[in-house]
Order: sequence, then C-alpha cells, then structure tokens
Amino acid sequence: MNWDAFLFGSSAALALIGALFAVSLKNIFHNILGFALALVGVAGLFLTLGSDFLAIVLLLVYVGALGIAMVYAVMLSQPLDTPRTPRSLPKIAGSALLAALVAMALWLVIRRAHFPGPPEVLEVAPQWIGRRLLQDYVLAFELISVLLVVAMIGAVMVARRDPARRAPGTAAGTAPRPGAPR
Amino acid sequence: MSQLHWYLLVAVLLFCIGLYGLVQRRSLIAMLIALELMLAAISLNVVAITSLAGGDAESATGNVSSAGQVVAVILIGVAAAEGAIALSLFVAIQREVQSINVEDLSELKG
Repeated sequence: MNWDAFLFGSSAALALIGALFAVSLKNIFHNILGFALALVGVAGLFLTLGSDFLAIVLLLVYVGALGIAMVYAVMLSQPLDTPRTPRSLPKIAGSALLAALVAMALWLVIRRAHFPGPPEVLEVAPQWIGRRLLQDYVLAFELISVLLVVAMIGAVMVARRDPARRAPGTAAGTAPRPGAPR
Repeated sequence: MSQLHWYLLVAVLLFCIGLYGLVQRRSLIAMLIALELMLAAISLNVVAITSLAGGDAESATGNVSSAGQVVAVILIGVAAAEGAIALSLFVAIQREVQSINVEDLSELKG
C-alpha cells in the first residue's frame, strides 16, 4: 500500500467519522468536537491534493476560529444539562432516507459525467493563489474583505445587549455590572 | 474508479451527512455545524475537480488548477462570515426567547 493511498484513506475516514459524530451525538459540545475532527480530515484531503495553503487556511478558519466561536455560542446560550425530548423515530428515518436519496442521485450523476484528465501544469503553490487573488479575482477578493468587515460589525451589533430594553430598575447606567470596579 | 471518483464519493457522503444533520437536528447550533459540513464538502469538490480533472479547461489567464483553490478560499471566507452572523443571531435569539430549539421559535401560526 503506497503512502498516498494511506494518507487519502485515513483523511477520508477521519472526515466521515467526524461528520457522523457532528450530526449524531446528543451533546452539542461533542458535536463541535466531531465537527473539528471532520475538518481536520478535510484538511488532510486537501493535503493529498497538493493544496497545502488551503489545508492551513481550513484549519485556521474552521477548526480555530469557527470552532471556538461555536463553543462560545454554546456557553452563552444553551445550558448543557437541560433535559431534551428524544427525536421521534419516523422523523429520524425520514431525514436519513432523504439524505440517502440525495446521495444516490448525486452519485448517479457523478458516474455518468465525463471528466477530462488532470491539467498539464498543476499550479498549487501559494504564490499562484496570491497572484490570482490580486489579479484575476481582485473584485471577489475586495468583496470578501468588505463582507467580512460587515459581518464582524453586524455580529457585534446583533449580539449586543440593548440597554433600552432592560427590565425597569436595572436601567442602563444605574446598576453596576457584576464584576465592574466600583 | 479513478482517483477523482474517490474524492467525489467522500464529498458526496460528507454533503449528505450534513444534509441529514440539517434536517434532523433541532438545536440551531447543531444545524449550523451541519451546514458548515456541507460547505466544506463543496469546497473539497471544487478543489478535487480542478486539480484532478481540469485538463482541457482554461480560465481567462491560463490553468484552472489554482483558480479552483481561489474559489475554495472565497468559499471559506463566506462560510466564516456566515458563521459569525449566525452565532451572534443565536445568542440574541436565546436572550429573547430563552431557547435555541427551532421548535420553540414558531411564532407565526398557520
């Protein structure tokens, strides 16, 4: 068994097992850990495709930033020990059936499609991505930058506690926040 | 099965596991996780196809194999923005309704 096949197989197994953990476990924190595991597997698949830069970006953005943000959201929103009603079996079976049907349809399309061979020159080094981003795709690059800034400001605005809507008696400015210096 | 088909098979399975989670789960955060899995499967698809089957296709300035990676970088950026907005919305919803279970969020009747 050669090294490439081993790397592909283990990355694919990691991705799929992590994805199964991410959707099937009951505890939301375990879901996030499974999500991180799945994304590590996808980063490994990118490595086998020669896209080292993408693998690093994927790890940084998904596993690092998004995973931590999800843990924070769980911390701020959902008590982990609340009792939950179990999902009814017909609904689980229906969702699984839907996913299986979509998978079969996609696979049939892929089997029938004709793919050309690999490109003659593989441009996978990071400097090619930089050149592309700042020459051919500079508009998309700028739009993504604006989108990220708007999303960041919007996230702060949406998640911020609105001082006007606090309960009476604890109006903004009068009651000291817990932990604030007196 | 060629090498490309193995990558596409993994991407299809990842996408459909995400779809299953998106339909079946009720916690908004779990649904966001499933959605991000689907997005990761799509970027895996883009990179695999352009680097293993970009043969006779040419973008405006040459080879398509790095163009696919640029598309994947843009996808990751969009996913990050979407995740940030969604998570802050969940925190705001939790503050208003005291729950992020989608079945508690149906205020419109009909």
